[in-house]
Amino acid sequence: MQSKLNVFLLIIFTSSVFCQVENLKWRKADFSYEKQIHSSKRDYSFESENAGEFLTKSFTNAYWFFISDVDGDNCPFRPTCSTFFLQSAKETNIFQASLMFFDRFTRDMNIAKGHDHYPRVSAGYYYDPPQNYTLNQGRINYLPPAFIVDDE
Amino acid sequence: MISVIKIFFAFLFVWIGTVTLVAQNLFDDQFNYARQLYNEGKYFDAVTEFKRLLFFNESKSYDYEANFFIGLSYKFGAKYSDAVRYFTLAEINYSTSDELFQTRTEIIKVNILRRTTHRALTLLDSLATDERFFNKMDEINYWRGWTYIFLDDWENASFSFSAIKANHQLAVFCDSLDNDLYSPQLAKILSIVPGAGQFYTGEYISGLISIGWNVLWGYLTINAFMEDRVFDGLMVGTLLWWRFYSGNIQNAEKFALEKNLEKTNSALRYLQNNYIGKKP
Amino acid sequence: MRKYLTLFFLIPPAILSQSTSFDFHSPENIKKFADYLFCEGDYLRAIEQYELVNEKLDNDTTKFKVMLGYSALGLYNESNEIFKGINDKSIFYPDANFLSFKNQLISEPGMINAPSIHSFNSFQLESFSKLTNISMLYEDKFNISRENFIAPFDAEELNQVSTFYDYKVEPPHKSPALAGTLSAIIPGSGKMYVGEWGDGITSLLVTSLFAFLAYDNFRADNTTRAWVFTGLGAFFYAGNIYGSVASAQIFNARIGFEFNNGLELFLKQQNYFLPEYDFCN
Repeated sequence: MQSKLNVFLLIIFTSSVFCQVENLKWRKADFSYEKQIHSSKRDYSFESENAGEFLTKSFTNAYWFFISDVDGDNCPFRPTCSTFFLQSAKETNIFQASLMFFDRFTRDMNIAKGHDHYPRVSAGYYYDPPQNYTLNQGRINYLPPAFIVDDE
Repeated sequence: MISVIKIFFAFLFVWIGTVTLVAQNLFDDQFNYARQLYNEGKYFDAVTEFKRLLFFNESKSYDYEANFFIGLSYKFGAKYSDAVRYFTLAEINYSTSDELFQTRTEIIKVNILRRTTHRALTLLDSLATDERFFNKMDEINYWRGWTYIFLDDWENASFSFSAIKANHQLAVFCDSLDNDLYSPQLAKILSIVPGAGQFYTGEYISGLISIGWNVLWGYLTINAFMEDRVFDGLMVGTLLWWRFYSGNIQNAEKFALEKNLEKTNSALRYLQNNYIGKKP
Repeated sequence: MRKYLTLFFLIPPAILSQSTSFDFHSPENIKKFADYLFCEGDYLRAIEQYELVNEKLDNDTTKFKVMLGYSALGLYNESNEIFKGINDKSIFYPDANFLSFKNQLISEPGMINAPSIHSFNSFQLESFSKLTNISMLYEDKFNISRENFIAPFDAEELNQVSTFYDYKVEPPHKSPALAGTLSAIIPGSGKMYVGEWGDGITSLLVTSLFAFLAYDNFRADNTTRAWVFTGLGAFFYAGNIYGSVASAQIFNARIGFEFNNGLELFLKQQNYFLPEYDFCN
């Protein structure tokens, strides 16, 4: 009885490991001739959870449409300063987001900023997400300068 | 006595032939099995069986074909470095110039797919100057055309295909696309007049907003200087007018590039999914 | 003559019987092929072949090689699953056990709590002590004296290990509170304290510029402009204090990251104190 159980367990063990190998085998790649598009599109939607957010998003959309989309690509960071402000407001509150924004703007004005400070996104901009500036040490996701982030 | 010896040698000859044939059949069977897996699209398993054949085949009679199919399997799995490695091993074991040409072409196709197009062009140039392949110029030009397609150089792609036949299907296709693309340089030059570059690329609203800002800041700057408010004039001129003026030039170029990318991706999609002909 | 003829007739059938009995997929041939793949570094394929023969040629050597293969592929949990099937009487059991500790340390960095096993030889015991001590560095609470920590290590490892110990006990962190306070006194100085000289100087210049513009416009009775510059200046000043605190936190996160990175590199260089196994020569 014991030997039958051992054989049974061995078969189950072997077949389960075999299934693992089966899952790890590579298959025909889903390859596309198309070129990758690195530039991200703006989210002009007005979706919001409250009136404050709606107001903020309205001003942001207006800023993007009339000013940011027309004055060229001036921000070396991703997310851009306006998007940074929006994301900061969502993560914290409007006051803290303002402080984060002014700090970000100051860092943007630093003409000697960082090859050796910020990681980059694949399009070459510096990657500087708001989660690192919420004053919550546990939320900081430090990435070294040589790192290339897959998406923004 | 003499007839017994004759019969013996005849029988020996037949036996040795049979032995060799049976042994060879086993390797043929293994090759066919591996080939079947390849045809069914089970590329990982196909590689395993071809490698098994190579490992046990001491006479190395399958070295070219097995390595070639391993290279093709890796190519289908988008494992390009491995593909090139095995095509190179196949190249070492070629026996005819056709086989050599085939492996080199496959290496070129892998370089096209992984967009190391300059390497592909270098390899094509070396094929073109190799006198063994002077009768293969059409095929060399064909793959040169595809290389230029992946290099986003549709004009040179059209030239390469035209060298095969004046109205080659792909030459006409590339030519038509090339004529349809915007010129980013022209968009930038036109933007000397604010908004003109954006109108050229069809972005009329952006062009109008650009004109508006440039007129506003231009007026305020000039007005400030005329009223001797030099500091104000400098601030508005550098921080605002120059920002929107250079932004207008940048945007014109950006729109041209974005629209060109949409058109070229659409063309590449057509070539991949609808074009009936040899592809990388 | 007849004897020679008989002999000649018997040789081809002997050859024929060998070639017709050659089986690519016999357990022995699969194992030979698997060994070849393992030596070529084609681990996944080797594992697949070993699993085909494991039932028939049940052998702790192949199980250990499968374990090594999974570990080399970065599949540490799968590698440790194989370990469960290795007999504790096997000569590979101590090596497999040690490999399982390595897998555990990579997949879940943390202190190794398991006791050493009695079948470890002296080299393995020493390596186990090294690995256990190093694993303590991954814990937040670190309570071991310097002497006890560095005791198992060799002379050439002492330097690096001592540095790790010192870093762990007294990491060169910056104080966020101090950075904020410094920036409140002199804008940008908190960022300079953290090492962000460019950002610190920019903060100082921008805040000073707006302060000057505000003062200058108040002096010239341009009240509206003066208040605009005052407001902007205040925000830049507050942002500079906030940013200095955040910079210090990011600096400390960088210290932690570089420490863990350095530790991982050291362990890789030492191969996690495992010996190099050579199954190919």
